[in-house]
Amino acid sequence: MLTHKGRFDPTRFEDLTVTVDFHCHSACRFCIVQEGMNLFKGVSEDKLRAAVADNARSRRYRRICFTGGEVTLERKLFDYVAIARASGSFEHVRLQTNGRMLADMALARRLLNAGVDEYFVSLHGHDAATQDNISQRPGSFDEAVRGIANLAELGVCLMTNTVICTLNVEHLSRVVDTVQPFRPVRMEFWNYLPMEDYADERDLVAPMSKVAPEVRRALGKIRELGIEGRVKYVPRCLLGDFAEAHDDSQPDVVIAEKFYDAYPQFACLYEAKCEHSDTCLGLHHPYVTKFGWEEGRLQPTPRTRPFVEPEDGLWVGSDRPGEGMADALDHPAWRALVEGVAPRNEARLSAVRLTRRTCSFLFEHGDSSVEVVLSARDDGAPALTRTPSFNIHYRSVAGPAREKLASIVRDAVKTIGERDPGGMVLDRRKGLVGDEAARRRPSGRAD
Amino acid sequence: MALLDASALLTPLLESGPDDRYFDYCLQPYRPRRSWRARLRPENLLWRSLAVGGVLEHLRPPLLALQAALGKDMTVWGIKWDGHRLFWEIYVYDPDKEDPNATLEGIARTLTPWFEVLPRPRESIPYQMVSFDLDASVASRRTIDELNLYLTGGPGHAGRSYKARATGVELENTYRFLDAKREIDQILPLLKASVFVDYGDPARLSKVLIPELYACRTICVAKKRLRDGVYFSGIAVEQLLFFLRRFGYPSAIIDLVARRPGAFEHLFFDVGIDYALDGDVMTYPKTSFYGTL
Ligand code: SF4
Repeated sequence: MLTHKGRFDPTRFEDLTVTVDFHCHSACRFCIVQEGMNLFKGVSEDKLRAAVADNARSRRYRRICFTGGEVTLERKLFDYVAIARASGSFEHVRLQTNGRMLADMALARRLLNAGVDEYFVSLHGHDAATQDNISQRPGSFDEAVRGIANLAELGVCLMTNTVICTLNVEHLSRVVDTVQPFRPVRMEFWNYLPMEDYADERDLVAPMSKVAPEVRRALGKIRELGIEGRVKYVPRCLLGDFAEAHDDSQPDVVIAEKFYDAYPQFACLYEAKCEHSDTCLGLHHPYVTKFGWEEGRLQPTPRTRPFVEPEDGLWVGSDRPGEGMADALDHPAWRALVEGVAPRNEARLSAVRLTRRTCSFLFEHGDSSVEVVLSARDDGAPALTRTPSFNIHYRSVAGPAREKLASIVRDAVKTIGERDPGGMVLDRRKGLVGDEAARRRPSGRAD
Repeated sequence: MALLDASALLTPLLESGPDDRYFDYCLQPYRPRRSWRARLRPENLLWRSLAVGGVLEHLRPPLLALQAALGKDMTVWGIKWDGHRLFWEIYVYDPDKEDPNATLEGIARTLTPWFEVLPRPRESIPYQMVSFDLDASVASRRTIDELNLYLTGGPGHAGRSYKARATGVELENTYRFLDAKREIDQILPLLKASVFVDYGDPARLSKVLIPELYACRTICVAKKRLRDGVYFSGIAVEQLLFFLRRFGYPSAIIDLVARRPGAFEHLFFDVGIDYALDGDVMTYPKTSFYGTL
């Protein structure tokens, strides 16, 4: 069955990324938004204001991250940062950037003063030859390294990102050498995701037989240096002693919904066998098609819990560079929907998990538990019942006290029905921004 | 066979209704993904394919008669495609022999005005399902020369299908249905135990366990006389579209889904591929997809 898993989960539902626009002065050979640059506009100021105002009310997100294209090229970036900071509802404002413009110390300082406190800077090569070959812009390496040096001098939270592909896979640990003098909090390595080149005609997808040992080598070096390592889209079981560096999560994103039509899907043959399949995406389809399922190389960790086909991805909260995940936020308005249900039923409300798509309440009674799940009202979708804002259903029934769980569910449904004021917003879309974010195609070009 | 283009295929589309029931290709019930409202019945795909194959006029009346005799949604159809030619298989399930219309005798009776069913294997064979093939030549010959009898497997014994002709019955294929994810440890060795495909090339398995289709509920591993087959059951309409495009189905069939994927969003589909190696290249001599009538 198609589920959110394998498409874009796990999502960090307390981090929000906003695509400001899609212009860029580099042309990285593996850029996953290259096609998007032709097809999509960024998020309009109105959309941003609406998202920020929603966060001021709901406090769902701890962090807002602005990205592009190359976000430092956008004149409106300072307005966007100001809007986010003025709301007072975000703990952190992050930029995802290629770092080239930050070679200008004045700009770096202005961004810091505007309230950008975290910088996630791409560096795809350890030297100018490698980086400039990938970015297809001579000088980009020198600029990015100067940008990184400026950020280090300013003492901001600095993270680097290296996209792994055939052009740099042999040099990953040398990238560590290049970056380490600037003492980043974290170095990330994201394995390349083909968006529009399924057949890998550009020959950028590297086989795991090469990727895994090189990533492990780089992580070993990072660990010795006391820098945090993070790896995406390399199976967790191939990271050996560095499995804790595995993190396939991405923030919630405001981007044209259609962007996700082309987003690679993932699979692992051992999904039902492996303890980590909620957090590990496995391999993307283009990889499997080119190099195979790697059924002999992958090493599932035997499950301790029975496999349940995931309906939504695992709940993941907010990133905290250098310190692991932040604690989950509390959501009083949502908690209030079921206040009283647990004590009335000798149960415990052990979690309230608010994502953009669902709000779920986990009730526990002794060894038994059940999750009551709210999703956006949708008369076409199966539901136990509906209230003005929600479809309600339950899942994850566990333990022997079935009758007690049934009465908890009945009570929760009745209570939510009485208290739902209408207009409480959940949204199943991933990208959130609809067709209005699509650029008009030049006339004469077929749709 | 000349395939007709889409402009010739303006059959009215049949909408889903509140009484529709939902079964997979083994006639196992499933819960629809979405409400039936403003959506289409799966049989539209069958009618469209028959129209594309130029046999709608001939084959619609007997199939409607079967539908009337067995009950709506109780007949499974398979649409098959070899890259050039469409053909069909119609499956009737009645493992507990409850419906006299679902017996060999009953099916032959229902089809009598259009087809003479020649094979008459003994009714007491413990088959759980019987099927017959249809194509343009059957339509013009007006005889059904072969029936397929499917016998359930059990632990240690795969399901089998037998080809029954007027002259006798012979073993055709063996099948094993497995949970796609939970029973992967059994699926892999079964697939790889092949006389037709060498799995030495590590990428080869992905041409059989196609990643886009692996997100399904049940996988059926089939061993056939001249090649292997694998079936993916419980896929969504997005995956069906991928499948139709991947295997180059006629555009009028693809368009029926592609123009209104939401209209089939409530359904799960089942698809199958027969595969064999031609030198180093995986070929798919026949693919198929399934729904109910
Ligand atoms: S076996 Fe699969 S799910 Fe488990 S860690 Fe490896 S790739 Fe990830």
